[in-house]
Amino acid sequence: MEQEQPEAAPQPVFTLDGRQIPIEPGDSILKAAWRQGIEIPHYCWHPGLSVAANCRMCLVEVRSGRVMALPVLRKDEATGEFVSATKPKLAPACQTPATPGAEVYALSPEAKGAHHAVQEMLLLNHPVDCPICDQAGECKLQDYWYDNQADLKRKLTEPVHKPKAVRFGETIVYDAERCIMCTRCIRFCTEVAKDPVLDMRERGNRNEVVLAPGRTLDHRYTLMTEHVCPVGALTSRDFRFKARVWFLKTAPSVCSGCATGCNTFADFDPRKGQLFRLRPRDNPEVNTFWMCDDGMLSYREVHEQRLLGPTQSKRDGAARIPDQRLYTEPDVVLAEAIADVIKRDASLAFVANAALSTEDNTALLRLAKALGHSRVYLAGRPAWEGDDILRNPDHNPNRAGVQAAASELEMVLVDAAELVNSATHFGGVLWLGTEHAVDVAELRQATSALWVLGTHQGELAAAADLALPVLSWAEQSGTYTNAKGTAQSFSAVIPPVAGQPSAAVLLTLVGEVLQSLDGSNATRPSGATFSGGLASGTASEAPSAAGQGEMVR
Amino acid sequence: MGKPVKRPEQSRSEQAFLPEIAKGLRLTASRFFKNTFSAAEKGDIATVRYPEEQREYPERFRGVHRLTQREDGSPRCVACLCCSTACPAQCIHIEPAEYGDGDPRKGYEKFPKVFVIDELRCIFCGMCVEACPCDAIRMDTGIHMPPALERDAFLLDKEVLLRVPAADGSVKSANPRHEPGDHTYPGIDRDRSGH
Repeated sequence: MEQEQPEAAPQPVFTLDGRQIPIEPGDSILKAAWRQGIEIPHYCWHPGLSVAANCRMCLVEVRSGRVMALPVLRKDEATGEFVSATKPKLAPACQTPATPGAEVYALSPEAKGAHHAVQEMLLLNHPVDCPICDQAGECKLQDYWYDNQADLKRKLTEPVHKPKAVRFGETIVYDAERCIMCTRCIRFCTEVAKDPVLDMRERGNRNEVVLAPGRTLDHRYTLMTEHVCPVGALTSRDFRFKARVWFLKTAPSVCSGCATGCNTFADFDPRKGQLFRLRPRDNPEVNTFWMCDDGMLSYREVHEQRLLGPTQSKRDGAARIPDQRLYTEPDVVLAEAIADVIKRDASLAFVANAALSTEDNTALLRLAKALGHSRVYLAGRPAWEGDDILRNPDHNPNRAGVQAAASELEMVLVDAAELVNSATHFGGVLWLGTEHAVDVAELRQATSALWVLGTHQGELAAAADLALPVLSWAEQSGTYTNAKGTAQSFSAVIPPVAGQPSAAVLLTLVGEVLQSLDGSNATRPSGATFSGGLASGTASEAPSAAGQGEMVR
Repeated sequence: MGKPVKRPEQSRSEQAFLPEIAKGLRLTASRFFKNTFSAAEKGDIATVRYPEEQREYPERFRGVHRLTQREDGSPRCVACLCCSTACPAQCIHIEPAEYGDGDPRKGYEKFPKVFVIDELRCIFCGMCVEACPCDAIRMDTGIHMPPALERDAFLLDKEVLLRVPAADGSVKSANPRHEPGDHTYPGIDRDRSGH
């Protein structure tokens, strides 16, 4: 979009309804207008797919070059006679190349008349079951009906009925009556997902999209077929009937599913503070227009199996923390436990997490550094299967970000598996996050105490002596650095489900641990100074903090 | 500059104040005796003994909501949430569900698994009735929400709303509806379309 043009040759332009539209090489009229944020009505065209030109919605009038005209009879309203006239032959804007100097009209009476007619034809057999259709509110048929037709239906006979609620797979339901046969889903499966599992059969009003025989829609990008569907023909079984789209608000975010870091729109209901779905946000540098199914469904983890309060180990022989202390001052309990390990001169391990934001991890690194450690372990989700399209084999969104933060603080990151593999017996392990790839039973063998600052219930939180709830990616702002090294910030989408920002907990811990160690306020760094150091990322803070760590040792 | 206000003309007895007080007390006392000892049937009394006795409401009075039924007793509501969208008091809570495999309405209809109206929060504006595309919610019951001691009694759920009859005793809607699966349905469906 912002390519440098040599000054000698100004960028060629054409005019669309009197507006100058610059042309990139290879642009069609529709694409050049789309780049400028001007929408010529269309169904089948998608910037990430090949051009099919089968919906005929984007017809425009081109009044330059060799203008083709058709002879027609037009009724003269004054006399009531039909007289000979000509009308221009319209061209599909998605397929007609934008030529420099062309004069194009998408809002002329002829073009608007064509939009009206195409819209009416597409709605001939439409069931108009908007009340039970999930697409209602974001449906192109509705939008263009208001823009171009806004007219009563003239067809009085019963519409043709076709299969409804056909299950295409675990994620997608197909409704042939609502389908306008734009073939976007078919082209997506063939061109992007490289799995040509969808095709169409029959013709005319018996046309329908079908699965390849013996197959279900089961590749890793099935929800994208719903995303590209301009009408309600394909609906997501996950989102189906959960909410009406007009109740949802949208916030930009970044997918936390893998090291690709796809840009997303997070749709949430502000009345309930609940996430309902993720949609891809266009970013040509990262994910173009797409996301994978696992990424799109990763919003669910924000509301499922969350750690809702401080919990302590239920193991036999574990020291009980009194409920009063556990619920009112869990951070002080944790600080005292850490200080106790330091006093006993037992070894302490800090575990950063590649699944969490750079801010959270920097706070942990600073805590470790303040206590005199220069070696921090790095945990994360176990690897998953990647592919050539979007999915990165690294299941963690921020490995690069943690590594960058560690090198900035001159600290060494060691894989968390070393905790279990090394011969050292630890006095205590502070684990940031609940994502892990180690055997928890073996981890408990390797350490006397385990403390977790995490988001989710599960094996690790259950095995911890103390687990404190912290906020997930949806409830606090942060930064992920993806595998390509692009740092992408996101902000809070919904109000906190449970817990506090882990960076805040960790930075409070620094002061509390140091206070527990010698009981004197003189050596306690104030939280404000520490947050300032974190925000500016300056190294000047580090030596003094490390010095205090050395002193108490 | 103020506007000159004409002072009311007052007679001497009015200005004396006490006779006027006596006059007022006589009217009050007469109403007291009339209301206490006279029979309500004679129409001497302006008030009614609500709730035992109720005035006749006008025909278009908006009463407690009801959900209309289909021929087979299932709700006409398709859980489109248009009513809760239109509701300015946000008193309608709906959880949609889908007709399962084998049901003739599968794919054509969804239905409200949960449909709750908070009659305390409702302002009886009638917007939900206007918004409904299926004539499924109506306020033609003529019923004034009866008093209760618990708030929960005002949360009317789907089962209650479906049983509440209209003022004429009907639980259906006067507007007929023909759906796929009904024997009155005029359209061709896939089984009869020959492909």
